[in-house]
Amino acid sequence: MDVSMMFSVSHKTAFVVDHCPYMAESSRQMVECDMLTKSRGQGVIPLAPVSKSLWTCAVECSMEYCRILYDVYPTRKLVHYIVSDSEFHSLNSWRQEDQSTQELMAALASVGPPNPREDPECCSVLHGLVAAVESLCAITQYQHEARRTLMDVADRVANRGRIICLTNAKSDTHVRMLEDCVSETIQEQNKLAAGSDRLMPIQRCELVLVHIYPQGDDTLVSDRSRKELSSVLSSEVHSVRAGRHLASKLNILVQQHFDLASTTITNIPMKEEQHANTSANYDVELLHHRDAHLEFIKSGDLHMAGSTSRDSGLKETVTLKWCTPRTNNVELHYCTGAYRISPVDVNSRPSSCLTNFLLNGRSVLLEQPRKSGSKVISHMLSSHGGEIFLHVLNSTRSTLEDPPSISEGCGGRVTDYRITDFGEFMRENRLTPFSEGVLDASGRTSSERAKAQLERHTRYWPMIISQTTIFNMQAVVPLANLIVKESLSEEDVLTCQKTVFNLVDMERKNDPLPISTVGSRGKGPKRDEQYRIMWNELETLVKAHVGSSERHQRVLECISACRSKPPEEEERKKRGRKREDKEDKAEKNGKDADEKAWPDSERLKGPQEREKEEQTESEMIKDSPDSPEPLNKKPRLMSEEIQPPQKSKGPVSLLTMWTNRITATSRKHEVFAGRLNSVNNKAELYQHLKEDNGMDLHENGKATR
Amino acid sequence: MPTVVLMDSSLSMTRPVSQEGSEEFQRKNLAVHGLTMLFEHMATNYKLEFTSLVAFSSLWELMVPFTRDYNTLQEALSNLEDYDKTCLESALHGVSNIVQQEWGSTCPCQVVLVTDGALGIGRGSLRHSLHTLKQRVEDKKFPLPFPFPAKMFIMCIANVEELQSTDAMDNLEQLIGLNGGEGQIFTMEGPLCLKSVQSMFGKLIDQAYTPFYAVLHCGNLASDVQVFPRPEPVLVDEEVDPIPKAVQTDLEIVGFIEIADISSPPVLSRHLVLPIAVNKEVDEVGAGTTEDAEEEPSANQMAGKSPNFCVLLHGSLKFVLLNQNNFYSKKKSNLMMSLFEPGPEPLPWLGKISQLGPISDAAENPYGEDDSKSPFPLQPKNKRSYAQNVTVWIKANGLQTDVQKILRNARKLPEKTQTFYKELNRLRKAALAFGFWELLKGVAELLERECTLLPDSAHPDAAFQLSHAAQQLKLASTGDSQYSAFNHNITPLHTDFSGGGAGDRM
Repeated sequence: MDVSMMFSVSHKTAFVVDHCPYMAESSRQMVECDMLTKSRGQGVIPLAPVSKSLWTCAVECSMEYCRILYDVYPTRKLVHYIVSDSEFHSLNSWRQEDQSTQELMAALASVGPPNPREDPECCSVLHGLVAAVESLCAITQYQHEARRTLMDVADRVANRGRIICLTNAKSDTHVRMLEDCVSETIQEQNKLAAGSDRLMPIQRCELVLVHIYPQGDDTLVSDRSRKELSSVLSSEVHSVRAGRHLASKLNILVQQHFDLASTTITNIPMKEEQHANTSANYDVELLHHRDAHLEFIKSGDLHMAGSTSRDSGLKETVTLKWCTPRTNNVELHYCTGAYRISPVDVNSRPSSCLTNFLLNGRSVLLEQPRKSGSKVISHMLSSHGGEIFLHVLNSTRSTLEDPPSISEGCGGRVTDYRITDFGEFMRENRLTPFSEGVLDASGRTSSERAKAQLERHTRYWPMIISQTTIFNMQAVVPLANLIVKESLSEEDVLTCQKTVFNLVDMERKNDPLPISTVGSRGKGPKRDEQYRIMWNELETLVKAHVGSSERHQRVLECISACRSKPPEEEERKKRGRKREDKEDKAEKNGKDADEKAWPDSERLKGPQEREKEEQTESEMIKDSPDSPEPLNKKPRLMSEEIQPPQKSKGPVSLLTMWTNRITATSRKHEVFAGRLNSVNNKAELYQHLKEDNGMDLHENGKATR
Repeated sequence: MPTVVLMDSSLSMTRPVSQEGSEEFQRKNLAVHGLTMLFEHMATNYKLEFTSLVAFSSLWELMVPFTRDYNTLQEALSNLEDYDKTCLESALHGVSNIVQQEWGSTCPCQVVLVTDGALGIGRGSLRHSLHTLKQRVEDKKFPLPFPFPAKMFIMCIANVEELQSTDAMDNLEQLIGLNGGEGQIFTMEGPLCLKSVQSMFGKLIDQAYTPFYAVLHCGNLASDVQVFPRPEPVLVDEEVDPIPKAVQTDLEIVGFIEIADISSPPVLSRHLVLPIAVNKEVDEVGAGTTEDAEEEPSANQMAGKSPNFCVLLHGSLKFVLLNQNNFYSKKKSNLMMSLFEPGPEPLPWLGKISQLGPISDAAENPYGEDDSKSPFPLQPKNKRSYAQNVTVWIKANGLQTDVQKILRNARKLPEKTQTFYKELNRLRKAALAFGFWELLKGVAELLERECTLLPDSAHPDAAFQLSHAAQQLKLASTGDSQYSAFNHNITPLHTDFSGGGAGDRM
């Protein structure tokens, strides 16, 4: 039966451990624990060796089984631990929270060893076996969830399980009696379960009886391989001596029951305990799902790959060689599987050295030992969040080799993608885990919210630098960052409005804009045309979000009110303005700002239209789209240059500021207004040549953040 | 998904086809015609597919190793010679070897077997192979199922009636069955002629060689793409969830994750994501591009010049998470999509995909203001055994080491009071859980003996702590609930020598 199937036999394992008086008997395997005494000279009487009882042997081996199981399958493979004497004691339940060796150890301590003085007549492992069958009928949370999601086909959810019984049986007849009892109980319980919503009939049950007897005794029970006792129940009997034989038996069983396989990492360099500056090579054996060896099994390479140690038929391990990690740079390997591991000898020094090394965040590549040929890295050990995984790496030729170059495909020739901006965009749209079932006000899940955010952020997102003006302007950043938000605070609206005023100010001062010259001949649009393009683009951006809230709407209103007016309007206002003085001032201001603020920006060479003041700037080299972006001094300088004058006026109301800007803007632009009447602007362009202070085009003039 | 074309070159393929018209065709000519059509289709629409050509009769020969050069394949096809009888089993062994040598045993492949349905006679015939299936020894197993995932397409230059008049059809069906039902038998409809062979190969192309076109979305940004190799539907759990999960043609980006956080995840398959131009409408996003009207650029050139989201993404990419189970990465300068195992939680260290949300929703940026932190990997609720200092005494030396640790610290009392009691309590807990009371008594005796062996220079506190510890262990070994509670810890005896005390030194 395939373990990977959600509800295979291994979904539920009931441990039934005999707690009757005879289990208190000694296993007769002696452990010398007074090791130091030997080296301490005469006069010291060493402590007599201690021996474990059958019970202690059974408990520690079952705990080891659970330890490996929980390491490799932290969820979905459940254990119910039952102890049986004059009655059954359930030490935990199928609940996921109960699945830990810590919990079980605490419960076992409260049970204590069997009481040798208890009346053997009323004690039996049968109580536990009956309880185990009953518990296999109980539905687990996973079965419950599966049944709930598959309402119409709920009967597809299977109920299977395994009972592992650790006992000391009297004879083969006794074993038969235990089997019959389980079989009958299943029949009874299945009848009960058929009529219940909270129980499920058992479709398949594997009974694994392990008879434990003391060392030196002859066994009274014979081994028997798996036999079908009924359509539901199969049974197998293992007769094992207590002590290390029992331990290796349960180790084999856990591998069989959960499709595990063994890998031995060889050549691990480790500092010697005594001599810190020498190091020796050690081996560590790990257990994991056997699919990590799939490639070896399929290619028939299992033996070639250095599998050794075949003492028990199943105990086969694949040897992989440690490759000392060079650096810890982040690399994405082509990995076809990752399987949790459990060290066989968890407390040994080599094991804990290896696991601590990995838990500290290092990864180790593993090499397949080959008799000849080049070395093949086939696996990698790596920990993620305190769990160690054996990654299977692809070591054969890739079908994706020699792919067509991206520059030859669609969009491959475009060179001015907003790469840095999109990098920033991705940073802002990174994901983070939220706790289960967290929904927002409109009932969206976390990932729906993530998608909604991406949608908002991309409502207006030009992909190339020459398609946009506003995203090349540092001055727009505060507004651009805020407007994509789902909701705005009063403060956000204020920031957006300030951004707009700032732009108005720039326009008044005739600051140059980073308008792209790509595709236009000559020097491109005039300054007021540039601002018109900029305002239009800004409106497009804000309009895309205007439906989000009333506050978004207010930002748009602010732009509409502040932006330079369409030509006809300006035409009308043209007459009767005493604007000369202010215009001059504005231009001077703008010029000053220019020289300080745009030190790196390029100018398209238009020798015929160069003014004296511009010469310093025109000497700058033209940027290519790929060249580093200008210093980020620009924006700060700009705002510093601009803001002090307004502040020096003392506290002004928003309304005054607003009106000031509007008047300033409308005045400034009258100069260019008439030109817009012509279709291609050309006639007007040359006329106003002298007045176009610093209006050459800037490309890629945006500052980095 | 590499393809092996397995071409029957036995004598029976030279049988003439009764033709009303002028030319006389052999079945082989029809087969070559069909394969030419397939190769032409691949050369234009599926050009990244690796294809190899194997010819077989009683022997097999690799005519063209895996290649994307369809001219070579075509050439080899037209130079095929005729040989003796059909022996499919050895040819399938050949296919198995060729594929495994080149691609290993995890890469899914497609086998296109072209035959006239005369599957040989006597030993070596398919009938004989299938009859002896169950009498094989370990190293002479039938090559099917292949060790790698494979689809078997059988192109019969024969019609159904002909195949059904012998047991050929049954045998071929059994062959597909042996391949786990993965594959299909195609037969010719109507008279054997060029037209019907074209229609048969047309069906194969529709079935197995249609490119997978999709749209990659990132909010309102989008790009038409081809995903190669095309993603195949995946079965999750045959029992509970038997419906194959297919990749949708709308690939939606959900958000982005750092490449270090995803950290070499296991994937089902990897696919190139290639931007494509759909029907000359390349200009939809290209509002700001050059409009050079002087020369009419070809559709491809146009496409090259229009900004494409894929290229942008590729340029800026660190990592992308999209839809439910896919992600993109940039490797060797190509946009790549990898498919995770279907399910709510393909990567334990990322948690459930549906629970990943935008960082702006978090109270504070989980990556930190300076990107110094990361919300990943997620920590599991329980620590694994190797991360929590468990006690295992299955091997004698495990127990001996633990006892020695206590004794070593006992000799360094009172300096090591803290570690002494820590180790003592660890041993006590395990002994109680394992019902190993005898050990508690033994260690108590050891400590008492240590007490008597203390040198005169020893700190007086050492003797007090040792006898206190020994007494506590003895009490625990009685099973008296007051002293043998699992969660109870033996605490150092509070003594007061020289104003200080053991407790203070801890």
